[in-house]
Amino acid sequence: MTALALACFDDEGPYLRARVRLLADDRRIVGEWLPYAAESLGDGAGQRGVRGAVIVLGLLGALALFALTVWSAVWAYPFNAGGRPLFSWPAFLLAPVEFGALAGAAGGMVMLFRNAGLTKLHHHAFDIDEMLRASQGAFVLAIACDADDASAVLGVMAHAGATHSRLVTS
Amino acid sequence: MEAHILPTGRRWTLPSLQTLEDVTEAVAAPLMVRAPGRNWWIAMAVCALGTGIGALAVAFSFVYGPGLWGNNSAVVWGFPIANYVWWIGIGNAGTLISSLLLLTRQKWRGSINRFAEAMTLFAVSMAGLFPILHLGRPMYFYWLAPYPNTMGLWPQWRSALVWDFWAILSYLLFSVLFFYVGLVPDLATLRDRAGKRGWQRFYGFLAMGWQGTPVQWRAQERLHRTLAAIAVPLVCSVHSIVGLDFAASLMPGWTESVFPPYFVVGALFSGFAMVVLIALVIRRAMGLEALIVPAHFDAMARIILAAGIVMGASYAAEWFSALWGGEAADVRVVRYEFTGDYWPLYAAMLAGNVLAPQLFWVKRLRTSVPVLAGVAVAVLVGMWLERILILLDTLSIGYEPSFWRTYAPTLVDFLILAGTMSAFVMLLLVFARILPVVSMHEMRKLVAEERA
Repeated sequence: MTALALACFDDEGPYLRARVRLLADDRRIVGEWLPYAAESLGDGAGQRGVRGAVIVLGLLGALALFALTVWSAVWAYPFNAGGRPLFSWPAFLLAPVEFGALAGAAGGMVMLFRNAGLTKLHHHAFDIDEMLRASQGAFVLAIACDADDASAVLGVMAHAGATHSRLVTS
Repeated sequence: MEAHILPTGRRWTLPSLQTLEDVTEAVAAPLMVRAPGRNWWIAMAVCALGTGIGALAVAFSFVYGPGLWGNNSAVVWGFPIANYVWWIGIGNAGTLISSLLLLTRQKWRGSINRFAEAMTLFAVSMAGLFPILHLGRPMYFYWLAPYPNTMGLWPQWRSALVWDFWAILSYLLFSVLFFYVGLVPDLATLRDRAGKRGWQRFYGFLAMGWQGTPVQWRAQERLHRTLAAIAVPLVCSVHSIVGLDFAASLMPGWTESVFPPYFVVGALFSGFAMVVLIALVIRRAMGLEALIVPAHFDAMARIILAAGIVMGASYAAEWFSALWGGEAADVRVVRYEFTGDYWPLYAAMLAGNVLAPQLFWVKRLRTSVPVLAGVAVAVLVGMWLERILILLDTLSIGYEPSFWRTYAPTLVDFLILAGTMSAFVMLLLVFARILPVVSMHEMRKLVAEERA
């Protein structure tokens, strides 16, 4: 029978100790929730594509507005303002730069939502009471295990410094 | 309020915060548990009254036109443009402070960045009203946007007004996104502790299903830092564009290459003054003494001092370049600043922007509440005077002597300014009741590091 061992830790240190030990024991982490962006997270899943989206969308946005500016000022509505050239490119750069920053930020938001799996307001993880404690300040680990060796898993967690642990069986 | 905050060394939090949940409790409890106090309601009522009167003054201006203002045929830019530049300066500072401190990994930013960013949103919103009011035909403000129309017209891209439109709009929306990215984890915190169903749904919707998984944290951190890297040049460009509104013209005293950087430093200067003022109030009102400590005020006072010195150097550079260049109109403007119709205001500006911050050379004064509050107010007043005097000292005595006019603001001018100030404070009051004024997840990280 499959079971889920859940544990809460007050600090990053005990959480990391339990995590390292359980991974060394070939345990499968099925869920972990943190109260802040710990340095120990390192690089990994979630980051890919964020900077790229910002840069690509930013450049595209800036180029699109620059193209619209040039087209409208030179061809669509060639207005002589005090003899200044129709293609006044230095003056045309200001709005595209501002808009490019905004477009890049919007592209980054899209990638954040995509990578972080946001908009899933009714994700099944919200059914786990312990998970809700992560947003208040706890580190939470969920380990898949057999009911037979659940006590060993819970023992590792308690030994590492878990302040709360329990077993959920299906 | 105590006369002097007790120093706690260089720790950025007080030891009374024992656990990470203590941080959450300290910030979220005022929102979740305590009902707004009597002082909050009094402040809200006063601000609502001020906002209403300001809105009435704006309505009268719409009906009867800009003739109700002090602007005249020479001083065509009066209070509205000065107010715009002042508000956009304060608005620029919040995102600049937050992003600069994030990029330079200043751990103390967690205590001030949230309300500094909120300050940006509200101040830029106030700033955005003034160019619209000043258009003369405000109902046509949307003509500034490029869209296909039956008249076959397009915006005049070489106009500083169009630059402002794009700068303000882009910056405001960018700041909203930057604010939101930093806020999402805290919205999840509030969602998970909100007692009432309605609040749970409100915060739950805004949190967008945030759980706090490692993947989510990595994505959020990466985007937050990337946006911060964009925000710094964006902020500098926005206020540089405001500086170019003046520098790109052909008026004595305005055609100066120092204007864009001088405006950016001015924005940082007035923004930090506003942040100090807000920090003093919310620290006391919301019981956040453990999270906003004397070391924060000490750091901000040092920055105000440095910015005050740069401002003094900028004024000196203006005087020097006019005198060194020898152009009669420029020299006349400098002489007029010290001896003309507005010299008391100019003296007050120098006192507020250059002299008052010098108090912060004294260590003890950098953490004294009365001194901090006094200098912050002096800087904010001084910066507003700087904005209005840039206009008055130049436009009152331009190149054509037959066109010289002095400027006198009207009651409507003052009411509109007071109205935006009231609306700004009112928005801050609402913000403080709905969203966490301090970044909980960043403070949890800071407390964990300090404990370690």
